[in-house]
Amino acid sequence: MLIILNVLSALIGLSVGSASVGLLDILNAFIGKSDEITKQIVLNYRLPRLILAMLVGSSLATSGCAMQAFFRNPLADPYILGISSGASVGAAIVILLGIATTYNIMISAFSLALITAILVYKIGNIARFREQSYAILLAGIAVSCFMTGLTSILIYIAGRDMHQVVFWIMGSFSNPNWVDVNFLAPIAVFGISYIFLNSWNLNAILMGDEHAMAVGLDVRRFQKQLLAVVSLLTSAAVAVSGVIGFVGIIIPHTMRLIVGEAHQTLIPSTILFGSAFMPLVDVIARTATAGELPVGAITAMLGAPFFIYLLLRGL
Amino acid sequence: MKLIVEGLTVKIESREVLRDVSFRVERGEIVSLLGPNGSGKSTMLRTIFGILKPLRGVILFDGKSMNSISETSKVIGYLPQENPEIGLRVLDVVLLGRTPHLSGIKRAKREDVEIALKALKDVGLDGFENRRFNELSGGEKQKVMIARVFAQNPRVMLLDEPTAHLDISAQIEVLEIVRRRVRDDCSALIAMHDINLATSFSDKILMIKNGRIAYAGTPDDVVTEETIRDVYGVEVIVKRHGSRVYIVPKKTVSRNGVRVHVICGGGTGRDLIYMLNERGYTVSAGVLNALDSDWEAVVEIGGEVVSEAPFTEIGYEAHSKNLEIIERVDFVILTNLSIGRGNLKNLYAAKYASELGKLIVIEKTPFECRNFAGNDAERIYKEIVRRAVVVGSERDAIRILDRERYINN
Repeated sequence: MLIILNVLSALIGLSVGSASVGLLDILNAFIGKSDEITKQIVLNYRLPRLILAMLVGSSLATSGCAMQAFFRNPLADPYILGISSGASVGAAIVILLGIATTYNIMISAFSLALITAILVYKIGNIARFREQSYAILLAGIAVSCFMTGLTSILIYIAGRDMHQVVFWIMGSFSNPNWVDVNFLAPIAVFGISYIFLNSWNLNAILMGDEHAMAVGLDVRRFQKQLLAVVSLLTSAAVAVSGVIGFVGIIIPHTMRLIVGEAHQTLIPSTILFGSAFMPLVDVIARTATAGELPVGAITAMLGAPFFIYLLLRGL
Repeated sequence: MKLIVEGLTVKIESREVLRDVSFRVERGEIVSLLGPNGSGKSTMLRTIFGILKPLRGVILFDGKSMNSISETSKVIGYLPQENPEIGLRVLDVVLLGRTPHLSGIKRAKREDVEIALKALKDVGLDGFENRRFNELSGGEKQKVMIARVFAQNPRVMLLDEPTAHLDISAQIEVLEIVRRRVRDDCSALIAMHDINLATSFSDKILMIKNGRIAYAGTPDDVVTEETIRDVYGVEVIVKRHGSRVYIVPKKTVSRNGVRVHVICGGGTGRDLIYMLNERGYTVSAGVLNALDSDWEAVVEIGGEVVSEAPFTEIGYEAHSKNLEIIERVDFVILTNLSIGRGNLKNLYAAKYASELGKLIVIEKTPFECRNFAGNDAERIYKEIVRRAVVVGSERDAIRILDRERYINN
């Protein structure tokens, strides 16, 4: 069912937009029979945008799912390691310096996101807590706050470029190109596969460090690997799309309600739902008004009510 | 499997939590670890399993030492103290016990599922496999966790307080389940708080105090009033029931500061002495012949007693000591005792108390019936009664004391 949903959302993503393209035209564009403009729209604009949205959606959703298991906390999301705020600083710096190309923003955001995640991990590791994950959680909150403050100052300094920074932070898939896709795709495939193949271990750490060790899992090593992979995956997703919130929470939770908590089924359904959901939200973002709304804002507006629903339901 | 621990010392953040611990668990044995909170029980289990690295010491399973947790978990089942709060299905939880036996990309094979289902059956949770873990009762959760340990095919089980937070029937059930498993070449080392459960389910008991094994041996060797006082710092009474021992706490009462001296003998003061003690009065008695049942009662509650050798007449020395005490105390009670030549001086003592205005007399039977000391005694008793409060029972006597105490306060 989720696969069908994926195909549907892909078709909608390709066809709907300021220039509507029929299904037949899409097919023609793929096999090279359509006119040049349609081909341009479909292959060089909408297709990379679609693939990007699918990759970002599934990356964030899978990362979120892994983080919720890691922290044993339903509120954990991929950004808990300070990645989003780190990436924002990275993007803001590049924009402020006036060297803002797609490529530069991407690399700068990616690097700072990774540096932030490493910093959080190091601080969390030094802190003396019996449950290391709590220390990391707290370190993540602290570093995030710091980075957010830094971003605010950068935005303030930015002056007339402010609009660009703010729009980047809100997250969107506008200006899609194959550079982004080529950058994200290998990392996403690697990261998502790693998490999927470790479903069993995710079940184990869900039980708590002590119980996971009791069944013979090298918890410290797995946690380190998992954090590294999630950091990489999330940083890459954020670097190409900006900060798209709530995807990492809504999607895993929806799937938990439907398929249960065992990661052997939860992870694949989260991947599929993530890759179907994101292009649909993107369609809403670019068609709801005459201009283009930031995707991050749409997910937040969908996410918040959903969150309240979860709270009322007792998580 | 046989477990040998030799010279184990564990340091956590510069504090020695375990110091030079040595013991062994033989095949098919249940050994309980007893000791107050923070004595090192959990540390012991975590170190044996390999989560903590010891500073010194050897841990051998059938003569071999283990190098990593993944190796240990193939033969040792460790159950941590706190249960997780998770929404996984029961079967998924039990299947995690198969982790040590899986390799590569971990997936449960049919064989693993069968082992997990068998483990669930062994703990009496047949048909629970699709229930969600966090919807079970405390006892059921604990049994699922034990099934997880069983699914590991352990040959030594290390269980950290498996009966904590459970009601009495679940406690017994859980330990019965463990004991059934222990019979087939699998031993168990269990950290416990409930001493009575430990004595009835274990072959051996290790009592830990401040990271050292203070006492070790069979339950009836180890569990005594002295060892419990030493290790836990509380007063208990150890009772025997067939071949088993169990403990009951001694009732501790707060002293109310009122001193009562009882003149009694021949068992007439026993009940009164216990009752006064329970209500917090500081009790003394005399003069009593040693080993008289009243004498034993005062000694048992730790009260002061003026004694005379058995079957001898009260001497001058004991009598004057008795009078000294009478002067000191707040009240004196004369019980329904028989008076003969041997204890006639006690009647004089009572007379002295009545002159001081602090005597209560318990009269259940007329004095004539219990007077074997002639007319003099009769005359003295009459004089006493005139200046004392006379009541018909121990309860009435205590009621008067309570009222007096209330008025004085």
